[in-house]
Formats: sequence, structure tokens, C-alpha cells
Amino acid sequence: MDLFDTTQLALSRAIVGTTTRQATLANNLANANTPGYQRQDVDFHSALKSAISGGKQAVSNVRPTAQADPTAPLRYDGSSVDVDKENAAMAENGLEHEALVSVSKARIEILKTAMNPR
Amino acid sequence: MSLFSAMQISATGMSAERVRMDVASENLANANSTGGPNGAYRRKEVVLREAGGNSSFAHTLSNAASAAARAGGNPSTQIGTGTAGVAVSGIVEDKIANRMVYDPGHPDADARGYVEMPNVNPVIEMTDLISASRAYEANVTAMQTTKAMISKTMDLLR
Repeated sequence: MDLFDTTQLALSRAIVGTTTRQATLANNLANANTPGYQRQDVDFHSALKSAISGGKQAVSNVRPTAQADPTAPLRYDGSSVDVDKENAAMAENGLEHEALVSVSKARIEILKTAMNPR
Repeated sequence: MSLFSAMQISATGMSAERVRMDVASENLANANSTGGPNGAYRRKEVVLREAGGNSSFAHTLSNAASAAARAGGNPSTQIGTGTAGVAVSGIVEDKIANRMVYDPGHPDADARGYVEMPNVNPVIEMTDLISASRAYEANVTAMQTTKAMISKTMDLLR
């Protein structure tokens, strides 16, 4: 039996996902005043959801990447960045990251307890 | 793309907004400058563009490392997406014509008694200042969130 199961791998891929999303949202905010800029976002949830039934190999192959978001409404200057929406998404992403790290840490603590019989 | 690149990106945003504030302040300060080497002052404008390539050492190294790993048959390696924040592509002069004000006693008046006044509208400069300042704050908030996420991730090691 391996030390890390599919859930642990999925947690680590999700942490990579929130990290990539943070950089992408920061890029959107940095370009808040760039005319014609199209906002980008990272959708790692759906990729991870479909990979999780495929076992470890499928989960570790999930690569979260930034993709252009053509659905966002355009402003008068051709940019599709809404600072309030980016901020809200970033706050949500930060909380998700915190939750993922907490769960990941709790699972690692269990392994540590198992390795250190007192 | 790592969390530290998110901080880099927010930093490019902050420096671009600071340039906008500098230029708006310069425009306001010169709202009544009629004389100069090239005649009356002309309003300046900052042109921003999305920064394409990232030439920082960390970015180049991570791209080279992931290319080597992919060549070695490891497909799960992260590939840099090339997002690198925002860049100032230039500071250009506003093409709107300068105002002509009748003031025959002015030392910069022309033969007909008109003085060329800068095409600066203080109201536009003030709104630009507010917009730049708010965008700067948004980038600061993004950086604080990134910082909190980095320290949370570090908690995994404790």
C-alpha cells in the first residue's frame, strides 16, 4: 500500500490549482486598466472531478492552466475585468486554499501519528 | 506558475498604477504651463499593455526545467503559462488641440493676442488619479491574499 492515497494526491493537485488561480486572478487585477484585455480563469474543479474516478495516475496528470474567459461582459474599453468580481473570486480562492491546506495537514498529521508510536 | 509569480504580477500592476499617478500629477501640475521648449504643455497619457514574456531568472529557469522534464517523459510537470502582469508600453501626448485664450498682455501671447493653454482638464486628471489609486489598492489586496496563501502553504511543513 502506498503512503499517499488518491484523496491526498487530489488535495495536492487542488492546492496547485488554487495557486495557479491566484496568479491568474492577480494578473487580471494587474491588467484592470489595460484596454482590450480579456480576463482569464482556471477551472481545475471539473478536470479533477472527472479524474478522481480514474485513480491515481489520472489525478496526478491534472494540470491546472489559465484559460481565456470569453463569457465575461466587455467594458466600454474592450476589457472584461470587473475589479469587484476579481476581488470576490480571489477571496473565495484564498479560503478554498486555506481549507485544502488544513485538510491536507490533518491527513499528514494522521500519517505522522502512525509513524511515531509513543 | 508558482505563488511567488503571483506576487511578481501584483508588483507589475502596482508599478504601472504608480506611473499613471505620476503622469496625472504631472498633468495637474502643468495645467497652466504656457511656455516651454515646445510651446504650451500637452497632456500626457499612459498606455498599458498586457506583459507577454517574463524574462526574470526564476521564470526562465522554471520553463527550462519543465521543458527538460517533459523531454525526459514526465508529462505532469507544470508548464509556465507566460502570464506576466502588465507593462507600460509608452507615455504618449494627448492629441486634443490646446485651448486658445485671449490675453494680449501675456508674454506667451501670439500676434493676435491669443495664448495657447495646455489641453489639461483637471476633472479628468482627478478621476484618473482616483482610478489609479483604487487599482493600486486592488493590487495591494491581491498581494496580501497571496502572502496569506504562501504562509498557509508553509504551515504544511510545521
